[in-house]
Amino acid sequence: MNVVVTPAMLGQVVISGILSGALYAMVALGLALIFGVMRIINVAHGPLLMLGAYATYFLSTAVSMAMLFVVGVLLERTLVFRVVDAPELSSLLLTFGVSIALVNLAQLLFTSDLRSVEYLTGAWVVGPFALSKSRVVAFVFAGALTGLAFLFLGRTKLGKAIRATSQSREVAMVCGIDVQRIHLVTFGLAAALAAAGGALIAVIVAIQPEMGQIWTFKSFLVIVLGGAGNYPGALLGGILLGLIEQVASLFLTTQLSEVVAYVLLVAILLVRPTGLLGGRQT
Amino acid sequence: MSRHVALAAPVAVALALAAYPVVASGYEVRATLQIFMWIVLAGSWNLISGLTGYVSFGHVAFFGAGAYAGAILISKAGWPWLAAALVGGGAAVLLALVIGYPCLRLKGPYFAIAMLGLNEVLRALVSYFEGLTGGGNGLSLPTLDATVPIYYVMGLTAVAVTVLTYLIITSRFGLRLMTIREDEVAAEAMGIDTARHKLYAFLLSAAGPGIAGALTARDQGYIEPISVFPLATTITMIVMVLFGGKGTVWGPVLGAVVLFVAQEVVWARYPYVHPLLFGALIVAVVLLMPRGVLGILQVRYRLPRTI
Repeated sequence: MNVVVTPAMLGQVVISGILSGALYAMVALGLALIFGVMRIINVAHGPLLMLGAYATYFLSTAVSMAMLFVVGVLLERTLVFRVVDAPELSSLLLTFGVSIALVNLAQLLFTSDLRSVEYLTGAWVVGPFALSKSRVVAFVFAGALTGLAFLFLGRTKLGKAIRATSQSREVAMVCGIDVQRIHLVTFGLAAALAAAGGALIAVIVAIQPEMGQIWTFKSFLVIVLGGAGNYPGALLGGILLGLIEQVASLFLTTQLSEVVAYVLLVAILLVRPTGLLGGRQT
Repeated sequence: MSRHVALAAPVAVALALAAYPVVASGYEVRATLQIFMWIVLAGSWNLISGLTGYVSFGHVAFFGAGAYAGAILISKAGWPWLAAALVGGGAAVLLALVIGYPCLRLKGPYFAIAMLGLNEVLRALVSYFEGLTGGGNGLSLPTLDATVPIYYVMGLTAVAVTVLTYLIITSRFGLRLMTIREDEVAAEAMGIDTARHKLYAFLLSAAGPGIAGALTARDQGYIEPISVFPLATTITMIVMVLFGGKGTVWGPVLGAVVLFVAQEVVWARYPYVHPLLFGALIVAVVLLMPRGVLGILQVRYRLPRTI
């Protein structure tokens, strides 16, 4: 493929990259929170996002986030807390089992039909750039929610307790933090962030039960990019992934954008396994 | 006495299975062939995940890679299927080397998630290189009725994977792998080159699925991206190993036979409920009987570790 890249095209790509990057950052922040606090990679993160998308389709975004918060808390309370200190094998397999169950439950309940939320269609034209309305709305929403989440983590007592737990569970306990409760809240919060992601994705593309898995992978890629356990890193990683995917789509077909993301993951693990910002500074 | 039985029983079963195609119907041969395939897949997954403790969520990628390597050699280069199957195994091992080298140097879930993505990536690549793979239209192989010879080769592969597991479990190499599984830091402190051992286990675990993939491609005569890279296949092999008992020699065999028969007899009637049950089964086994059926029997009846 021979492409002549004009400055306008490059600008368009950068804008689209940042627009989708905010969404990546928000979804990945959920995964990063659980990993930071509980040392668990929640393989069901993507399927939770899928549930959030369906809840938005049938109800509304706010209800969807509230519902998924509850689902997250229930999941932690009934299953996940049992494997917090178990070897990685257990937590990975357990959340994998949950994710399969969720996907197939969705297939039973909602069938595999593609559904889409018609909310905002078309694009705003600003100078030489076209901004898809739904993507801009998703960006604003995701940016606002991510900002709120960081405010919550940075300023509130509960947020500080979450960060303390992720730095050292023992010391947090000594300081009088109820670690079990922090685990619950973190899981609920992460599920709510996933639900928000699902809601915004539902506006952009059609949804179906198997849409989730790729989001587990992408969120993981984002936290690897930024440094696992490093919350601001998730923000940087999200924007980076968005940019890289868009730039890649300029030179390659969109089919290969997943391949690019994958090669990126392997390359980072080879060169800088602690992520770009280094791991575990909260 | 018991040692003679332990040796004689598998040999008798193997002989009976070798004679089986003479008396069995086409369907029965095919079903048994499928069981062999699942033994290969589950047994191979057991090597990296059950024995070494590194969960692979994308093991079907090696099955698919082998299937495509084999099918391309057969249809485009006119290779005999047996040679193509061996190269299919080789291709899967090569792929495992490329993925395993960066991902297995690290501890933690990097490997698991990298494997989760691998499958999607291969599917995208296969769709992209249409000239070679036929893309979404799939790849047809020249017609050839070779189900019975493939039955034997697949059976031999299943035996090879099981014997290999036995040899590993009874060797120093196997002990090192299990040490990594139990406590990787301690393993390193004892002087085990963990990265290299994990990589060896991973390479061994890729060969079987590659061969099985190429054999399956030849037997079915047609492959497409959806048919050789389904996540469901990975799920099934994981469930089989967990159910039978991870890290054991016969656990994957037991899991493959029991769950395949259950799938054919009962669950085939409820196509959507059955993967849902598999998900629930994984959760239940992890929480309630993490050692699987054989693990429980081993503890209760003090059976040797090498079962």
